[in-house]
Amino acid sequence: MKIMPCPLNGPRNISEFVCGGDVKEMPNPESCSDLEWANYVFIHKNPAGVVDEWWCHTPTAYWFVARRNTVTEEILETFTAQQYFGASQGEPA
Amino acid sequence: MSHPVTPRLGDGFGLFIDRNKPVSFRFDGKTFTGLDGDVITSALAGVGTTMISRSFKYHRPRGLLSLAGHDANSIVKVGKEPNVFADLTPISEGLDVHSVNTAGSLNNDRMAILDLFGRFLPVGFYYRSFFKPGKAWKFWEPLIRRMAGLGVIDPDTPHGYFDKAYGFYDVVVVGGGHGGMNAAIEAARDGASVLIIEEAPLLGGALNYMRLDADGTQGMAICRELLSEIESSANIEIMTNTTATGLFTDGWVAAVRGNRLYKIRAGAVVVAAGAVEQPAVFRNNDRPGIMLASAASRLMRLYGVTPGSNGIILTANDDGYGLALDCLDAGVAVTAILDLRTSPPDTPMRLKAKSAHITIHDAAGIAKALGKCRVNGVVISNIDEDGAWTTVGKTLPCDFVAMAVGYTPNGALIWQGGGWFNYDSDAAYHMVSSLPTGVHAAGMVNGVFEPGLCAADGRRAGASAGAGNPSTVERLDDSSLGRVNHPYPVFSHPKAKDFVDFDEDLQTKDLINGLSQGYRDVQLLKRFSTLGMGPSQGRHSNVNAIRLIARIEGKAEDEVGATTTRPPYRTEKMGVLAGRSFEPIRRTAMHHRHIEAGAQMMPAGAWMRPAYYGPKENAKALIAEEVMGCRGNLGLIDVSTLGGLDVRGPDAAELVNRMYTWAYANQDVGRGRYLLMTEEAGVVIDDGVACRFADDHFYLTATTSGVDGVYRQMLLWNAQWRLNVDITNVTGAYAGVNIAGPNARKALAKVCDDVDISADGFPYMGVRQGTVAGIPARLLRVGFVGELGYEIHVPAHHGEALWDALMQAGAEFSIRPFGVEAQRVMRLEKGHIIIGQDTDGLTTPFEADMGWAVAKKKPFYIGKRSVDIQNASPAHRRLIGFRLTDKSAPCPEECHLVMDGETITGRVTSAVRSPSLDEVVGLAYVPVAIAEAGGTFTIKLGDGQRVEAQVSPIPFYDPDNKRQEL
Amino acid sequence: MPFTLIKNGLKNNASDIVDFPRQPDLKSSYDVIIVGAGGHGCAAAYYLARDWGIKNVCVIDKGYLGGGNTARNTAIIRSNYLTAEGVAFYKESMDLFKELDRELDINLMYSERGHLTLAHNDASIRTSRWRAEVNKQLGVDSELLYTDDVARVCPQLNVSQDVRYPILGALYHPPGAIARHDAVAWGYARDAIRMGAEVHQKTPVTDVIVEGGRVKGIQTDKGPVYADKVLQAVAGSSSLLAGMAGLELPIRTIPLQACVSQPYKPILDTIIVSGSLHIYVSQSSRGEFVMGGSTDPYPLYSTRSTLDFKEGLMSHMLELFPFLSEARIMRQWAGMADMSPDFSPIMGLTPIENYYIDAGWGTWGFKATPVSGKRMAECVATNKQPALLEPFRLSRFDNFTLTAEKGAASVGH
Repeated sequence: MKIMPCPLNGPRNISEFVCGGDVKEMPNPESCSDLEWANYVFIHKNPAGVVDEWWCHTPTAYWFVARRNTVTEEILETFTAQQYFGASQGEPA
Repeated sequence: MSHPVTPRLGDGFGLFIDRNKPVSFRFDGKTFTGLDGDVITSALAGVGTTMISRSFKYHRPRGLLSLAGHDANSIVKVGKEPNVFADLTPISEGLDVHSVNTAGSLNNDRMAILDLFGRFLPVGFYYRSFFKPGKAWKFWEPLIRRMAGLGVIDPDTPHGYFDKAYGFYDVVVVGGGHGGMNAAIEAARDGASVLIIEEAPLLGGALNYMRLDADGTQGMAICRELLSEIESSANIEIMTNTTATGLFTDGWVAAVRGNRLYKIRAGAVVVAAGAVEQPAVFRNNDRPGIMLASAASRLMRLYGVTPGSNGIILTANDDGYGLALDCLDAGVAVTAILDLRTSPPDTPMRLKAKSAHITIHDAAGIAKALGKCRVNGVVISNIDEDGAWTTVGKTLPCDFVAMAVGYTPNGALIWQGGGWFNYDSDAAYHMVSSLPTGVHAAGMVNGVFEPGLCAADGRRAGASAGAGNPSTVERLDDSSLGRVNHPYPVFSHPKAKDFVDFDEDLQTKDLINGLSQGYRDVQLLKRFSTLGMGPSQGRHSNVNAIRLIARIEGKAEDEVGATTTRPPYRTEKMGVLAGRSFEPIRRTAMHHRHIEAGAQMMPAGAWMRPAYYGPKENAKALIAEEVMGCRGNLGLIDVSTLGGLDVRGPDAAELVNRMYTWAYANQDVGRGRYLLMTEEAGVVIDDGVACRFADDHFYLTATTSGVDGVYRQMLLWNAQWRLNVDITNVTGAYAGVNIAGPNARKALAKVCDDVDISADGFPYMGVRQGTVAGIPARLLRVGFVGELGYEIHVPAHHGEALWDALMQAGAEFSIRPFGVEAQRVMRLEKGHIIIGQDTDGLTTPFEADMGWAVAKKKPFYIGKRSVDIQNASPAHRRLIGFRLTDKSAPCPEECHLVMDGETITGRVTSAVRSPSLDEVVGLAYVPVAIAEAGGTFTIKLGDGQRVEAQVSPIPFYDPDNKRQEL
Repeated sequence: MPFTLIKNGLKNNASDIVDFPRQPDLKSSYDVIIVGAGGHGCAAAYYLARDWGIKNVCVIDKGYLGGGNTARNTAIIRSNYLTAEGVAFYKESMDLFKELDRELDINLMYSERGHLTLAHNDASIRTSRWRAEVNKQLGVDSELLYTDDVARVCPQLNVSQDVRYPILGALYHPPGAIARHDAVAWGYARDAIRMGAEVHQKTPVTDVIVEGGRVKGIQTDKGPVYADKVLQAVAGSSSLLAGMAGLELPIRTIPLQACVSQPYKPILDTIIVSGSLHIYVSQSSRGEFVMGGSTDPYPLYSTRSTLDFKEGLMSHMLELFPFLSEARIMRQWAGMADMSPDFSPIMGLTPIENYYIDAGWGTWGFKATPVSGKRMAECVATNKQPALLEPFRLSRFDNFTLTAEKGAASVGH
């Protein structure tokens, strides 16, 4: 079983986590085109290589970002949301 | 009747057995006696039973081959357990062993006639036959299907007890032989915790049975020394009789001992699993009595049983001579040693064999074996310089043949973990070429055979693993390797049976034909011929097959590649993998009250909820009574399973506003408001009620099965937004009830005196905090069932007390508990939807006719843009309420179809014969064109009958909602 | 004994049969290049030749013939889908399958076993009824059974109601079948080659050549190969190949694992699926229990195995078949599945002219091999989206017109 190094809980079995999908930037829903929005909702980069994803440690309901290689299954680095996005309060749009 | 114990070999033999403990067991109904420590195969050999099984395809007699579980020959049935490897299974008193895959008996197998029809059953024959003409396959298939498989599964087999255990070690050494013991000692030297996993009952591996020197003393001496070193180490643990079946990512080792699965996390793994001896391929090489040299050695040294009385040893290395000397020590005659090499080196063991006057033929092999149920002789063939078969020589009698022509690394765990081996033509051996992270290889699996080097290689790997160094492909150079493995021990006979794969009854010509038919890739050939697909997964067949393919295709063996080795290394019982199957059930605080009241419980997600109260046979009437009880008087339902989320903090309203479709920013404190949630694609996924208890405190309800997902989504979004809120899933922390009916207020008044529950003081959709029966409570005036009602949520441990207090308070109003079924009826009478039943994976709020719950002016909520995009194009369907025009027509069931002629245009999502209205009402998706009130449409029932329905405004019951607002 | 066996036997052996002659060197251009020599790609080549006379076709694959998901699936064939368009599509596939052994002259061991999709809760009963009603209306043999009838169809099932997930009912689909999956690819490839196509194995495509919005060919390690039209049929690697052509897809690549038991004498005739327990199982013509579950929990381009998959699957296997606790697992493996947002394939035209896609096959591609081959061939030959493939067009995601199969998403094999 793979080990996920959780920024909050330390290294744990990956069965304790769920993958929340790619970290992707939301286009401005008020100004983007329909197609841009549809692509945001449905398209996945799905790379064979490094990807940044949301992961949640389910027993503690803690979300963080993991940088992972989708070919080797190696987990390269994990980040708290604050580390990843910086300190400013994000806005929905 | 028990057979006498056949005498076993004396001193120096029989390491695993206890000569003083006879054990009787049965084989095919006859009782035999073996010794404690015997495996089934050795015990059978001990009483002179040579034939163990019939082969898969031709039903040929088969006997002991590897004595290591590397072939299907030793598959038997034990008690009710089918497909057991007799090589690996100890005997115990009364063990009931049966042969498998025979029609009739082992000795008299009617299917053995298939052996004569081999020419008509070439490789892949089933792809080219049985399907023409017409429906021929329908005729042949059942007949062929009957021939499939080996053991019989008894459908009455009881589910045994199985469980799991966990382990954590710095270093796990797989294989407690020469390399592994050295690795463990070295790994533990600086304090690392070390576990040795060994399949045999004792450590030692080949040291316990293989002759390393002419005197035959070296192996045991080395073993004794290593054992004492291991015993003196405080941090080495040993698991014997344990098989490491799998190696997965990040040092996750699966090991099986008996009925227990050990899941072991290893900081580093040293694979020191040794090597698997390989058979030679020649005509009738499958006759019982023909075995690997290591099997013969094991039989004598570990179990004290002789492989026969006069043997032929076919060799291409020193091991054959070692075995010959063992035979001499054991008093077993060796008719001859046939050495495949033209000029073998005169090693000390060969010289000793010569001086003992054992007949040795160099440049000689076996043209064919004689005998049927047991080998009784061989015809010698002469071999030229290139190792090819030239002329046929004389016939030699024998009653066993031992083959010592080389090995292949026992590297399954390395392959599984993602490592790789490349075939080294000079060494005629697969060499590790890459290792998985944290995995080290040592000893014979790593291509190091010479005993001194093997020990040193173990030390090297152990030191590296113990120090936590990254794994590197390294080995101590063993120049003897080229003298261990014969490069091509294949002497095919075009007309006769010469087996490459014993499990699958594959002969050289099968592979040659497969290649010539165009299945040239080794993977394709495997799939076409079934090479290596049997119970031993190619462990005795893949290497010779690769050599054969290389010859035929004119390639190097390494270019041929290899088929993929997959877990498990050895078969694993389903029960071992399943363990004790933990599937938790959630019960509400009032669960026992429901049971006492005779409730029929039903699952709701992980929870159990009362469906209705009373015996099953009265279900329909009971549900109607529960409905009428609530509508007429007073009802009580346990709603503890509903989700509850506390959102607190200055940004609480902002968070709720972003997560749900309606507007919550300006919601008044003390008020509840319907919640509707869509996902990013605009599909409805949950609903509930937002209760605002303070400016900075919302209590949100959610559906039973949806709450965990909703909670997780909120946290995910807020990980990005980082609003100043705290979100807590309090579902399990609260128990809840809904007390509903015209007398609800009167009943509540008896147990609640700190909340003004008057119609004005606590109006519909109000929310309050106070106490009920002295229990701190959250009160929600909501109307899911459409009557005056209060949801009361209290800390879960007070749930039962709350239930009791309300039952008591309601007694004078004939309070009646009701279950999920009655609630479903009542909510449908009110036209309330259930997410997941009245919505599906594509339903948008507008399709569900919930546009009223979508704030049009809000700049954002999850899914808003998607909802807007979809709402901009004409909708195709809408969820509507309907009544059947004929009140006596049968009630449709959920998911009966809405039809326009023969075209499916929609479906019923909910329908019920309403006890309150005495007519059928329901919800359905219909085309937008007919979705206006008064429109009619047709519903097709399950039996094909069609009924007419009319679109009807909802609610059906109490259309002005007066009752819930009393 | 059938005549063919005797005939071949008397000829001494079958060595004069050559299914796959050695292929000529890769040419510099073809009329059509099909990337992916799995069942779908080979079937498309076959129907291009048979139905449209297009024979100058190259099927190219980085691995061996049929070595991707064709080799790794659990060979279940059914047509009991939820939507009219789904049913129509898979029904055509099943109809083609039933005649396919004689058409391709190879025994596919197509075996109608009956297919039970178990329901352990109200929601599954509802979905089963929905599928049954749609199927019946569209002429597909399906019905909703309750517990007692489920036990009659498959007496081996544990139908006790005193278990954690009791069987309340099932969707029964009598024509549900299994077949020898490898042979399907072999049969199509062999006949496509006989009609003139070439199949080039072990030849990775390194790029897709697109000029002015139109595909021109592909790049390989043996140099460029040009073609008027290119079809991609590389389930598991769809995003990567499409990416070479400049397309982004609504697909995530997620491993799907499976395992087999040792061979046992046949005891389970029916194909059993349980969405709630995430399991599907049948017993093969070799006597092995072939078992699979849900896809892995996260995307990965790898066919590695995990222990937890097996543990979870066996736990649920024994819920259904407690008497199998002593039976043994022999081998586990994995494939890479293209998961689409609406559990439906992505087929047909793309924004790149003359570049066609056959992707998004998730965990259900094998059963569609004949129909997707046939209809993708039509699409390639006519450069038009065939009506049957209309619901599966790539552009459906642009305007949120997903297929309604999403409505009944569960384990769908």
